[in-house]
Amino acid sequence: MVALAIARQTVREALRRRVMWIFLVIGVFLIALGPVFGFLNPRDSQVVLKSLGLAAILLAGLFITIVTCIYLIPVEIERRTIYTVLSKPVQRYEFVLGKFLGGFATVFVNIAAMGIVFLAMLWMQSPNHKVPPEMVKGVMLTFFQMMLLAALAIFFSTFATPVVNFFLSFAIFLVGNLSTVTESLTTNRNPLVSGVGRVIHYLLPNFGNFNIQNSIIHPQIELKNVDAFIMQNIAYAFIYSAVLLILAILIFDRREV
Amino acid sequence: MAAAISIQGLTKKYVDVWQKQEVVAVNNLHLEVEEGEIFGFLGRNGAGKTTTIKMLLGLIFPTAGDATILGRPMGDNNVKRELAYLPEETYFYDSMTGWDLLDFYARLFRIPEPERSRRVKLALEKVRLQPDAWKRSVRGYSKGMRQRTGIAQALINDPKLLFLDEPTSGLDPIAHAELRDIVASLKDEGKTVFLSSHQLADVELICSRVAIIHNGKLLTTGRIKDLTAGERTEIIVQGKELTNGVMDKLKALVPIVEPVYDHTDESGSREPVPTGKLRLSSDDNEQTTAVIDLVRSAKGTIISVVPHKRTLEDVFVETVRKEGI
Amino acid sequence: MAASKVYSQESLQRRRILGAALVALFLLTIPLQRAIDPTARELKKGEVGLTQLSGGLTNEFMLLPLLGFREAAAGLLWVRCDEFFHSGDYDAILPLVRLITWLDPHADNVYVTGAWHLSYNFTDSSERSDRRYIPPSQKLLDEGIANNPNLWEIKFEKGWQNYDKIKDFPAAEAAFEMAMATPPRKDSEDYPWGAPLRVVHTWAHSFEKQGRIPEALAAWKEAMKRSEYFLKKNPKDYSTKQLYAAEKHNYEITLQRYYDRYTDHNHSDVNQTAKLYGKPYPAVLQPVPGDPRPQPWNTSFEPVVKITRAKVFEISGRFNSADGARIDVRIADEDYKPQDISGVLNSFDVPPDQTILMDTISVRKTKFKREMDMSRDVKMYSFSKPYLKIVLSYNPRSTSPHLQDRFGWNGEGLTDDNPNRVWVDKREKMRGTKMIEGQGGEGPVWDGKDESWKVHGQPPRLIKVTYRVATADVLSGAEKTLTDKDIVPNED
Repeated sequence: MVALAIARQTVREALRRRVMWIFLVIGVFLIALGPVFGFLNPRDSQVVLKSLGLAAILLAGLFITIVTCIYLIPVEIERRTIYTVLSKPVQRYEFVLGKFLGGFATVFVNIAAMGIVFLAMLWMQSPNHKVPPEMVKGVMLTFFQMMLLAALAIFFSTFATPVVNFFLSFAIFLVGNLSTVTESLTTNRNPLVSGVGRVIHYLLPNFGNFNIQNSIIHPQIELKNVDAFIMQNIAYAFIYSAVLLILAILIFDRREV
Repeated sequence: MAAAISIQGLTKKYVDVWQKQEVVAVNNLHLEVEEGEIFGFLGRNGAGKTTTIKMLLGLIFPTAGDATILGRPMGDNNVKRELAYLPEETYFYDSMTGWDLLDFYARLFRIPEPERSRRVKLALEKVRLQPDAWKRSVRGYSKGMRQRTGIAQALINDPKLLFLDEPTSGLDPIAHAELRDIVASLKDEGKTVFLSSHQLADVELICSRVAIIHNGKLLTTGRIKDLTAGERTEIIVQGKELTNGVMDKLKALVPIVEPVYDHTDESGSREPVPTGKLRLSSDDNEQTTAVIDLVRSAKGTIISVVPHKRTLEDVFVETVRKEGI
Repeated sequence: MAASKVYSQESLQRRRILGAALVALFLLTIPLQRAIDPTARELKKGEVGLTQLSGGLTNEFMLLPLLGFREAAAGLLWVRCDEFFHSGDYDAILPLVRLITWLDPHADNVYVTGAWHLSYNFTDSSERSDRRYIPPSQKLLDEGIANNPNLWEIKFEKGWQNYDKIKDFPAAEAAFEMAMATPPRKDSEDYPWGAPLRVVHTWAHSFEKQGRIPEALAAWKEAMKRSEYFLKKNPKDYSTKQLYAAEKHNYEITLQRYYDRYTDHNHSDVNQTAKLYGKPYPAVLQPVPGDPRPQPWNTSFEPVVKITRAKVFEISGRFNSADGARIDVRIADEDYKPQDISGVLNSFDVPPDQTILMDTISVRKTKFKREMDMSRDVKMYSFSKPYLKIVLSYNPRSTSPHLQDRFGWNGEGLTDDNPNRVWVDKREKMRGTKMIEGQGGEGPVWDGKDESWKVHGQPPRLIKVTYRVATADVLSGAEKTLTDKDIVPNED
C-alpha cells in the first residue's frame, strides 16, 4: 500500500505539469475538429473522424506518457525529495512500482478524457446516434500501448537523464512500431539479417502490435479472432511491462541517491 | 547501555574513471552511539558527515565495513519504522500543504486512519507550526516553518532514533532556540538523536557525546565534559627575536602559536595588519611557565597571561588543525 | 561511482528472485509475440512501405505515417480529394488516390471512387472519356479487391465498369459473380447473401448482353428467389416489392422475346411462311417487305469518312434500320493496345503518345452524321503514331430491344449487301446461345426450357468497316474523303 501512497502523490505532481495539459488540450482539440469534416458524405466523415480521433489520442497519449514518465524518478533525485521517502520503510521496488502506477494512472486519466470526448463526437456525428463498440476497443488498445511505453520510460529513467530518456523512449517507440518490418526480417534468407531481425523483433517492445486502427475504422474488414488478438496484446503489454519494471527495480536497487 | 548505532570500519570510496582518481569520502569509520543519548557528529564541510548518514539510511552503499542500527544490520528496511531523518535542506513537495505532506509521510509508515490524522496533528502542534499554516502550501512557508515541518515529519512515526542534519541552520534566534529546545526534549522521551551540526554552541549545550571527523577519518570521540576539561591559558607576547629563531621552540612547547593581527586601522581598511605580537595557548601551568621563561630569555615582552575555560569550538579547531590543514 | 559496494543480504536475495522472474517473463513474451505475428501481418497486408510513400507525400504528411498514423493521413488526404473534386481539378485527385490507397488499403470507397474518376471523369471537350485511363482504373480495382476480399463493393464496381464503359460483358459477368461469392456478413442487410440484389440484376443483364439467354433467365429466377426471401421476412418492404416486380417482368419479357424472335409459338397464325415454304421460320429472319422469302435484314451500310480539317473527322452515311440504332466509332493508333500494367501500380499516368477515341452516332431515318473534333484536346489526342485506324461498327448485342427483335441477340437476322461488312466475332468468350440453325452457329439449338444451358455455339454477327489512314493526312489540314482503298480487313 506504500506503493499506492507514492502513486497517489505521483499523480498529484504529474497533473501539475503544464506540458502535460498542453498535449491534452491539443489532443482534445484535434478530436473536436471532427465535425469540421461533416461536409463529406456520412460514411466518409465517419471514417475521417474515427481515424483522426484515434490518431489524436495516440499522438497526444504518446507525448503525455513520455513527458510525464521521464521525470518521475529523476526529478525526485534531483530535488532530493527522495531522501525523506527512502529513509522511511519504503523498499526501492515499492518506490519504482509507485512511480509507475502513478504515471500509469496519469496516462489513464488523460486517455480516458480524450476517449470520452472522442466517443461523444462519434455519438453526435453518427446518423443513428450509436457509438461503435470497436472504437472503444481502439481506445483501450491505445491505453495498453501507452502503459507499455510508460514502463519503458520508467525503466530508462532509473539511469538516464530526462533529455536522453525522451529520445530513447521516442526512438524505441518508433522502431517498435515497425514490428511487421522486423518480423519480415526474421524470415530473410541471409542468416545475419534474420538473426539481427530476430533480436530486434523479440527483444524490443513491439508497439506495432497495438495498431489495429485500420481494421476497426473499416469494420467490414473481417478478421478472424480479433478479440483473441486484442487479449494477446493486452497480455503482452502486461508481461513486457513487468519485464521492464523488474529491470528498472534491479537497476534502481543499486542506484545511489 | 545498548548501542543504538554501531559502525564498524565503514568506508566509502568514489572512483572517477575518467580522471583515474579515487576519493575517499569516509575512511574506516568506527563509532558507537548509545541509546537514549544525543550524539553530536562534527566536521568541516565535506568531511563525510552526510555521506555517513546516507550510508546508514541506505541511500548510498558503503565500499567496505558494516553497521548495525538498533541491533539490526544496516540496510534492513524494517528498522526504518523506528528511524527518522531530517536532511540538511528541507526537500519537500512544495505543492503540498503541510498537513498533506505529513499525511503522505505517515502513509509511508502504513499508519492507518484515524491514527494517522491524530499523529499529524500531534506532530504539527509539537513543533509549534501555526494552525493556519497547516492547510497552506509548503511553497509559501518561511525557512523556520519549513524546518518545523521537517522536524514534524521526523516525529510522525514516534521514532526511537533520529538523524538530524543541521536542524537549526539559517534560523532566526527565536526559532533557533525553540527548535533546539525541541531537539533537546527528545532525550527526555528516551529517544536517541544523531545530530550533525556546525552550531557548536548548540551541540555543547544539548549533546552528551561528540565525534569529530575530517577527510572521512574519525579524529576524536568522547564526552564533551571530558574533551573540554582543563583550562587553557592565553599568552600574548611580543619581541623581535621571537619571530626569528625562537618561533620553532615556542611551537614545540605549546599547541597554538599564531601572530596577532589588527583588523582595523585609521584608514578603515579591512586588511589585517600584523601587530608584531604572538598569541600562544597552553594547556597547563608547566607549559605557561616554560613559555614565559623562553620569551624573557629571548628578550621578548609578556603582554598578558589570561586563563580561559575550553569550549567545544576550541576542541574542534585544535583537533582539526592538528591534522595539518 | 564507487569502486565496489557492500549490499545487504536481503537485497542480494531479492535480486536473485527478481532475476529469475525477469528471465521467465521475458521468455514468455517470445511465444506470445509469435502468436500475435500472423494476425498483425494480415492486418498490414496491402500497406505500402514508407519509402514508396515518401515519393508522394509532403514532409508534414510523412510525419503522420512515420508515427504510425496512416489512417489519419489517409483521412486528411481524402478530405483534400473531396475539395479537388468539387472544384473540378481531377488531375490533382489522382496522386492523392494512389497515396490514400497505399496508406489505407482498406479504404474501399477510395478504390471505388478513384476508379470511377479514372474511367469516367477524364474527358475531352465533347465529354468523351479518355480510354487510356481504363487500364489503370481496372488495375486499381484489382488491387482493391485483393486487399479487401470480403467486400462486394469493389468487385461490383469492376463489373459495372466492364458492363457500362468497356462493354466487356464476359469480364463483367465474372466480376459480378465474384461479388456475389463474397462471404455474407451477419450484420449486413443482404444476409444470408454476400451482395445486394442489384448485383444479381446486373449479372442477369450481363448474360443478356452476351446473348446467353438461358443463364439470364436463371439469373432472374435467382433474383426472384432472394426477393421472395426478403419479402417473407418483411412483407411491407416496398422497395423489395418493386425489385421483385422488376425481376418478374424482366424474366417474363426475356422469355417472351425469345419466343417472339426465334420461334413461331406466338405468331403461327399470322406468320404465313409455314404455309408458303413448308416450315415456319423465326422472326429474326423476317422477310424484307415485298419479298416473302425468309432472309436476314440487309443493313446496306454505307459509311463516309471525311477529314474536314486538321484532326477533325466528319463521319456520316446510311444504315438501313429503324431509328434507335447506334453506330460505334473507334479512332485509334493503328497499333493501339491498352496499357499493360504489371507489378505495382505506382501512378495513374497514361502513355502520352497514345491516341484513342470512342463514341457512338445515332441513326435517324436510316442516316447518320457526326463531327469528331480531335483538335481541341492536344494532351488527349497526340497523333504521335504514323497511322490511325477508324472502325465503324454496329453491334446487335448492345442495341435496343425493338431492333434486337429483328436482328436477334446474336445478329442472326442481320446482314449487309457487302459481305466484307459482316463481321463474325469468332472469339470463344463471345459465343452466345444458339437459337436457330443456319446462321453460323455450332452445337445444339437451345430447347427454350433448360435454364442451366451452358453450351453456347453462336458467334455474334456485327456490321463493321475498318479504315486505315496516315496520320500525316489527318494533321495536314487538307480535306480528304476516305475511299474503299483505305478500307482494311476487320480485326477483333
